[in-house]
Amino acid sequence: MQPDTAICVEHVSKSYGSFRAVSDLSFEVYRGEIFAMLGPNGSGKTTTMRMILDILKPDTGTITVLGGPLTDATKDKIGYLPEERGLYRNVRVLEMMEYLGTLKGLSTAEARRRSQAMLERLDLAEHAKKKVNELSKGMQQKIQFAVTVLHDPELIIIDEPFSGLDPVNTLALKDLLLEFRQKGGTVVMSTHQMWQVEEMADRLLMIHQGQQKLYGAVDAIRQQYALHAIVVEGQGDWKTLPGVERVELTENGRKAALLHLAPQTTTDEVLAAIALNKNMSIERFELAVPSLNDIFIRVVEDER
Amino acid sequence: MNKVLTVARREYLYNLRRPAFLFAVFGVPLFTLVLWVVIFALTASSEDNARQLGQVGYVDRSGVLANPVYPEEAADLFVPYSDETAARQALDDKTIGAYFVVPDNYLPTGEITIYSYSGIPEALNDTIDTLMVQNISRQVGANVSLERIQDPVDMTVHVVDSGRDLTEANIPALILMPLAFALLFMMSSGVTSGFLMNGVVEEKTNRIMEILITSITPMQMLLGKVIGLGLLGLTQMVVWGAGIVLLITFGQTVPALKGIVVPTDLMLVFFVYFVLSYFLLSSLMAGIGAVVGSEQESRQISSIVSLLWVLPFFFFASFLSDPNGTVPLILTLVPFTAPTTVLMRMGFAAVPTWQLVLSLAILLVTAIVTVWASARLFRWGLLRYGKRISLRDLLRVIRRSPEADISVAHSAQEAAR
Repeated sequence: MQPDTAICVEHVSKSYGSFRAVSDLSFEVYRGEIFAMLGPNGSGKTTTMRMILDILKPDTGTITVLGGPLTDATKDKIGYLPEERGLYRNVRVLEMMEYLGTLKGLSTAEARRRSQAMLERLDLAEHAKKKVNELSKGMQQKIQFAVTVLHDPELIIIDEPFSGLDPVNTLALKDLLLEFRQKGGTVVMSTHQMWQVEEMADRLLMIHQGQQKLYGAVDAIRQQYALHAIVVEGQGDWKTLPGVERVELTENGRKAALLHLAPQTTTDEVLAAIALNKNMSIERFELAVPSLNDIFIRVVEDER
Repeated sequence: MNKVLTVARREYLYNLRRPAFLFAVFGVPLFTLVLWVVIFALTASSEDNARQLGQVGYVDRSGVLANPVYPEEAADLFVPYSDETAARQALDDKTIGAYFVVPDNYLPTGEITIYSYSGIPEALNDTIDTLMVQNISRQVGANVSLERIQDPVDMTVHVVDSGRDLTEANIPALILMPLAFALLFMMSSGVTSGFLMNGVVEEKTNRIMEILITSITPMQMLLGKVIGLGLLGLTQMVVWGAGIVLLITFGQTVPALKGIVVPTDLMLVFFVYFVLSYFLLSSLMAGIGAVVGSEQESRQISSIVSLLWVLPFFFFASFLSDPNGTVPLILTLVPFTAPTTVLMRMGFAAVPTWQLVLSLAILLVTAIVTVWASARLFRWGLLRYGKRISLRDLLRVIRRSPEADISVAHSAQEAAR
């Protein structure tokens, strides 16, 4: 294990009765990265998170977190945002944040100071004295996140942080997440929103039916699933280009086209050919890299 | 340890401000006090009301009242009539409010009939009683005092091994105080352990439990809650204790409260039993709270559990007749019934030291085992949402590793998705 590893999961399996929720899963999360866990519902993401947090024990395999097995001291360095949100309903916001902060090892005064600062930051200062159940769902979710990072953890594990948030709150949360990473924090998050992963995550793990399907840097995975093709937009009869086997029009009536290349043809050759051809002009030229969404669907469908 | 105190502090402060707690501390005694005052006031006023109907006539055929002596406070209340017709006439004329007839077989039967157009106040009954007793006593003999006939025995029960004398004057202190303590104990530990259980159920249904157990261990949480709420229970007792002391100090003028002293040995025993029994009850409740699915379910189960603590009250009669018999002995040794039983027994007779020691030892061991078992159940029950659990499951979890069994619970949850 490298020193910059925040979480190391090795050959972990977990069964619920006869149901195999997680099967021989191994991966690492590096310090300072945003690590995304993807997978359809019931694929074992939450189970894996709970095992990392020692809420559940794996049947087999080992998990090290921040350099060792999870201890009380380590717990203070971790923040967790569970999928099914957990807040005290009948307690004032500030009081609840303070309590949860002190449980993570902060002093009462420090917990109070940070809670107030965090509420200001989230534009929720005026609600500090309100009870949690008087707040909107978006506000509750922001507070839930605030609680997760209140004690300045080194690592946060957040399960579906964006679910149920409107675009404005999503943006606010995203800023907080990126800021957290900026300061050197490590993020493990699960989400269904692929574009969030594309935008934010450094690396990802995709699991399906408890098994690892994809694992690695987001860009590398997209490259790996890249077609031997180019997306172009502009004027010209693309079929006449050397090395182009087939032209496929994409993006519903817009001018973009997908050029499938012959096996030996490189993209540079195609670009050079277009540049030399006076009858062609391009506004866009890029590798046909599929979105994570496409990859996700492809992986899941291959299984069926 | 720090986190245990954090939890304890929070539980204490949070529940201290709850309306339910404030009502239990101040509302219930205040309500009781008001009730007492009202009852006192009513009884007091009905004493004056012996004259409510005006003068009362009588017809004596027995001869007991042939040469009547009237009670001091009612010297002018009674008017003799020679026959019932005259008395009836006077009643109809409203000269008198009622009249009674003492038949010639009164001495063997004790029967008296009273006539009136309305009900007879209780106080008038008492006054007629006094009138009859006074006049009968004059016929018994000169050297028999009236007081002996009215109250023939003033018993002092000397309980040899406790060194306590049960005179009639301090019977309230020795019998009622343990009873009062037993009740106090019930209410206080009932309220606080109820809070504990509700708190756990709430944290479970809120899903905040997942955040809590990634911050602290189940054992830390359990201990913190038990300590925090235990202190809350003690607070309640201190407030009540102070209230009782105040009441007794200022209440010495009230005849009903005179002579009540709080026995110190009783207080000490009370305190030790309270602490141990509270640990037992509250950790039991916490375990239940962690395992059951809903608040409703938890209430049903907890009411059954609290019954165990009330059980000794049903055997009150056997404590009176045979305080050192088999039933009290069993109830003393069973950890759930021990506190209330011992408190009640101490009022009637000394509890042998070996019984006290054994009972406390059993209670201590049971409390420790329960705290331990509850902590195990706690961890296991936390992730079970809205599912019924069989007793067999529970025993298996307590005996074996709790983690192994979370899985069974979880599969159903996951499969439902």
